[in-house]
Amino acid sequence: MTNLPNDPITLEIIQNSLQAAADEMFAVMKKTAMSSIIYEVLDMGTGITDAKGALASSGAGIPAFVGVLDKAVKVIVGKFDKPGDIEPGDVFATNDPYWGGVTHLNDIIVAMPVFAGGRIIAWTANIAHNSDVGGMAPGSLTGEATEIFQEGLRLPAIKIISKGEPIRSVMEIIKTNSRMPDVLEGDVWAAIASVRIGAKRLVEIAEKYGVGTFETAMSSFMDYGEQVSLKELAKLPKGTFELSEEQDDGRVFNVKITISDTEFIVDLRDNPDQSVSPVNTSRDGVMVSAQMLFKSLTDPYSAANEGSFRPIRLLTREGSVFQAKEPAPIGFYYEIELRVYDLMWRCLAQHMPERLAAGHFASVCGTFIGGIHPDTGRQYTIIEPQLGGWGANRDRDGNSAIFCGFHGETYNCPAEINEARNGLYVDRMELNMEPGGEGKFTGGRGIVMDYRVRADNGFLTVGYTRSKFPAWSLDGGREGSPNYVKVIRKDGSEEKYSFVSELTTHTDDVIRVITGNGGGFGDPRERDPKLVAEDIRNGLITLERAKEVYGFTGSDQSQRGGTDERESAEDHVSEPGRRQRGA
Amino acid sequence: MVNKTIRVATDVGGTFTDLVAFETEDGNPVPRIITAKSDTTPPNFEEGVLNVLIKGGVDPASVDFLAHGTTVVINALTERKGVKVGLITTEGFRDTLEIARGNRPDFFNLHYEKPKPFVPRYLRREIPGRMSYKGEELRALDLSGLPAILDDFKADGVEAIAISFLHSYADPSHEQAALAEVRRLWPEVSAVASHQITREWREYERTNTAVLSAYVQPIAERYLSRLAGGLKEKGFTGSPYIMQSNCGVDSLETVSQIPITMVESGPASGFWGAAELGKLIGEPNVLALDIGGTTAKCSLIEDGQVKIMTDYWIERDRTTAGYPIMVPVVDLVEIGNGGGSIAWVDDFGKLHVGPQSAGAVPGPAAYGRGGTEATTTDANLWLGRINRDYFCGGEVEADMEATEKAIAAIGEKLGVDADEAARGIIRIANNNMVNALKLVSLNRGHDPRDFTLVAFGGGGAMHAVALAAELGVKKVVVPAAASVFSAWGMMMSDLRRDYFVTRLADLKKGAAEGIEEIFAETEARARKQFEAEGITADKVKFLRYGKFRYQNQEHTTEVLLDAGKVTDDRLSSIEAAFHETYEREYTYRLDAPVEMVGIHLVASAEVGKLTMTKREPTGTKAEVALKGSRRVDFALEGIHESAIYDGTKLEPGMTFSGPAIVEDPGTTIVIHPGCHVEIDGYGNIQIHLTAE
Repeated sequence: MTNLPNDPITLEIIQNSLQAAADEMFAVMKKTAMSSIIYEVLDMGTGITDAKGALASSGAGIPAFVGVLDKAVKVIVGKFDKPGDIEPGDVFATNDPYWGGVTHLNDIIVAMPVFAGGRIIAWTANIAHNSDVGGMAPGSLTGEATEIFQEGLRLPAIKIISKGEPIRSVMEIIKTNSRMPDVLEGDVWAAIASVRIGAKRLVEIAEKYGVGTFETAMSSFMDYGEQVSLKELAKLPKGTFELSEEQDDGRVFNVKITISDTEFIVDLRDNPDQSVSPVNTSRDGVMVSAQMLFKSLTDPYSAANEGSFRPIRLLTREGSVFQAKEPAPIGFYYEIELRVYDLMWRCLAQHMPERLAAGHFASVCGTFIGGIHPDTGRQYTIIEPQLGGWGANRDRDGNSAIFCGFHGETYNCPAEINEARNGLYVDRMELNMEPGGEGKFTGGRGIVMDYRVRADNGFLTVGYTRSKFPAWSLDGGREGSPNYVKVIRKDGSEEKYSFVSELTTHTDDVIRVITGNGGGFGDPRERDPKLVAEDIRNGLITLERAKEVYGFTGSDQSQRGGTDERESAEDHVSEPGRRQRGA
Repeated sequence: MVNKTIRVATDVGGTFTDLVAFETEDGNPVPRIITAKSDTTPPNFEEGVLNVLIKGGVDPASVDFLAHGTTVVINALTERKGVKVGLITTEGFRDTLEIARGNRPDFFNLHYEKPKPFVPRYLRREIPGRMSYKGEELRALDLSGLPAILDDFKADGVEAIAISFLHSYADPSHEQAALAEVRRLWPEVSAVASHQITREWREYERTNTAVLSAYVQPIAERYLSRLAGGLKEKGFTGSPYIMQSNCGVDSLETVSQIPITMVESGPASGFWGAAELGKLIGEPNVLALDIGGTTAKCSLIEDGQVKIMTDYWIERDRTTAGYPIMVPVVDLVEIGNGGGSIAWVDDFGKLHVGPQSAGAVPGPAAYGRGGTEATTTDANLWLGRINRDYFCGGEVEADMEATEKAIAAIGEKLGVDADEAARGIIRIANNNMVNALKLVSLNRGHDPRDFTLVAFGGGGAMHAVALAAELGVKKVVVPAAASVFSAWGMMMSDLRRDYFVTRLADLKKGAAEGIEEIFAETEARARKQFEAEGITADKVKFLRYGKFRYQNQEHTTEVLLDAGKVTDDRLSSIEAAFHETYEREYTYRLDAPVEMVGIHLVASAEVGKLTMTKREPTGTKAEVALKGSRRVDFALEGIHESAIYDGTKLEPGMTFSGPAIVEDPGTTIVIHPGCHVEIDGYGNIQIHLTAE
């Protein structure tokens, strides 16, 4: 059935099939998971690597997980290096950033070797955020942690299934260490189902086309990824670019990026020592940040693989916030990754405004709310990232209410499902009307969401950045607005937070989540008055403020009058789209 | 005098209005099939329908059953030709429509543009009042602000109003009250409330559904009432049935109330046809494949049942979030790969096919209308799979020079000759379609080897055997008159309604009563609706599906329940059926509590569908249909001298083997070496692939 092993059409077909397998793994995980952060928020990722752990293909999900799985597989491959260490049917797991886990202990990576022709030809892997992996606080994430031991159970790249049979004692340890043991067990099994289905597909492909052809297809796909990256890299402005930026917590972060025709060098050595608080990241973590931005700059449209990232060189200093050493706590690593990502973005934006917009709200705004559901008596835990405003482009306004650059094919939780599942009411979920982000083109809007708590003795934990220094602007636009949480007590008193751990909440307290507007682009006085009039009519800005910021001289059309509304019947929806495509 | 029955299916597409009529005489198993085509006539679409009846020589007065399909809804949506909508929502939620779900599917693209809502912010207004997820009133509805909102809407030129309140799936009374008040205050305006369309949770999806429904409602209503009027004027005495996205037909009156249910009716009739065909020939498990000019669509039929879901989105793909429409739609996967799909080579020497299409103009290079890019059709021509002297049923003279030039250009970029390039195009196109077929089968836990592939549409039969071989499918069926198969499907449809209702219940002793109640309640609602249309309760058939999950999960697995009352005694067998279905799909099962999230009830009644009669083998040898032979390139299986058969001369009982080509006016059937062909009693071409 096969012709030449290097027949480019066959290789292309294998590559498409790898993508299809990664997508199928994603679909399985999404449908079977038990935590809403996985099935609804889709805080997860799937991927396929070659035998050594080089990324060959990744499924949908979130960009910040694309570059994680390969690093985990590499650690597993390095640790289990004796003959017989890895056998068909085995499944491995790691969640420890000091053992290839990259992120934090909540994210369990499950990986499975794929055997064909008597050898390992690939790995299928899956990462997902688990609701509780033990540790000192519910949900396992707390700003109080000073050592990783307080952040949950550590799985240092271990085998959890041997030759198809679960290692019962290990599974029991994992389950018992969680405050939500059934949910954790369900989610781990969902991950196992996902890597098993992926492995099955890969075996089918390898058997059909031959193991040699399969391996050639993988390596040629990576070479292709590299060619695509190099071609675009050559088009970027060359030189060394630097930026220093003060953070909300007073630390100053520095970056130096050097771009040549063949290399993209990110130097993060000149940065503060690691913190005793969980605001550190592993070196792998900042590599993921660099990979994300690099991919967006060079080729945002095709799937990422090892080759796509080959031109990146990363320099970090051991013991610094960007290469933390054991036992530094690491729970809020994602905010640090985001800070680096945003820092690099800001550093380059002014030099390539056609590729990079103004700053966005740039925080996961991870929000953890828990307590007892008064209707069921069961414990509930909300773990969710928030939507916010994105920065203006040089030719259009930024998007309102989408997830930050860290997340991607991620969904917010509907209020209707939230109220059924969790012990609170969602009193409002609307766009943030605070000033900020004005410009020739405006930043998109963040959101305001009110959670009204329905029982006593619940808790709230949050860790937001860009709370003191909001989204940055470009070319004379105005800065965006900050991310923060307001707790409005039943008696009307108010508290404001950006970082708080296990704050106690009571019946009828309102937790108000406020996320920032994105940065503006260009001088507000250059904004088309028609767009300003539209903003007024839509209630996004008052007439007074429009006069003050934009120099608006027209009247308030929301007061209704002689304007011809009919002609604008279509102007509010995008141009004719395409029909739905299923694949 | 012989008693004749005339069944007609008309289909209004963007360019053409099609007619297929089946005239059956008592005692004659072979129906006379009439087809006709005329221009679509916007905005007075009924004219095109009446024109095509005249063109086909069908007197509306003589028609016994008329089914009608139309793309008017989907076109109004994708072309943004709907009306200006005002939205009324729960206080605190006017921005739900714009916030949507916040996802960025194209996640490395920092220039992603979020789809804009169909209602701008100034036309999204709020009303106080609140229900809980259990359907309890937390705060009374306050309609005192409504008159002022409606005044504003009038001043702003709003033509349709959508109402969507939080938790209306659990208790619609607030929506009902608001809707009644809107109708009282402004009787002329078109208005819809979300609970009328769906009783499922997720406020963004439900609100967007109500908005899109309102957006097309005045247009669709006008369309349908003019169609009914026009037909009546010409003497049609029956009531037309309208094709729906759930593979059923529904009465014109019902569809006029919620026309958004027509949104994906085009592909639905073909898939229903495939299910009916499968039942007819004893193949209840079918992979249905419809290849047209620009796209290929596929769907899976298990045990004779099409899969109906409410997770339908328009304009959604890997690069954009799209818009949800929460109505029952047949579960299908569509990809940009059809006969007109363009082959291209990227900067790095990789060959791709689609999703760009050459369309009807200029069309494939072989059309000779100035098309310079190679399409799948050109590759099929070049390889001798399509007869260059019988192109498009002999209606078009194939411009082989243009085809050669286009394919050679691809070859040049790949560093291969034209033959090799054409084979590459076919293989890539086939691979795209194989992946789509895997999405509906393997990805949903079904082994394609247990299914029969039914291929239709203009291009289905050209690729079907190669796809079947790739997937391990043992049999391919190309229906008689494959090119008008969708119309046949429409005539086989039942009056069908799918009811989805969200209702939470733990699957443990004592729960049966509540579960039975929600089924019974919904069945009563269905019977009442059918009765209002003169269909008595005894004619209505029900299928009860439960939607289950392990506690704490979100996504559900649908399980068909045996007929009869749900009792506590039956719960354990229902639970066992869930575990089994779940394990098949996901490879494992859990020892966790199971809960029901809702029901899916299918109510259907036959409304005069076509009855097919099987014919005995005629005894005529296949040689009678033989036209000659030519060299055909089967890509991976090499070049073979192949027998060419005239599809119009095939009769029941004929058998022959591949390599062969069957040429029909509407389609070409490619039969690979080693396959065995048999014409069944209904004139379908059944192709058996060699057993491995």
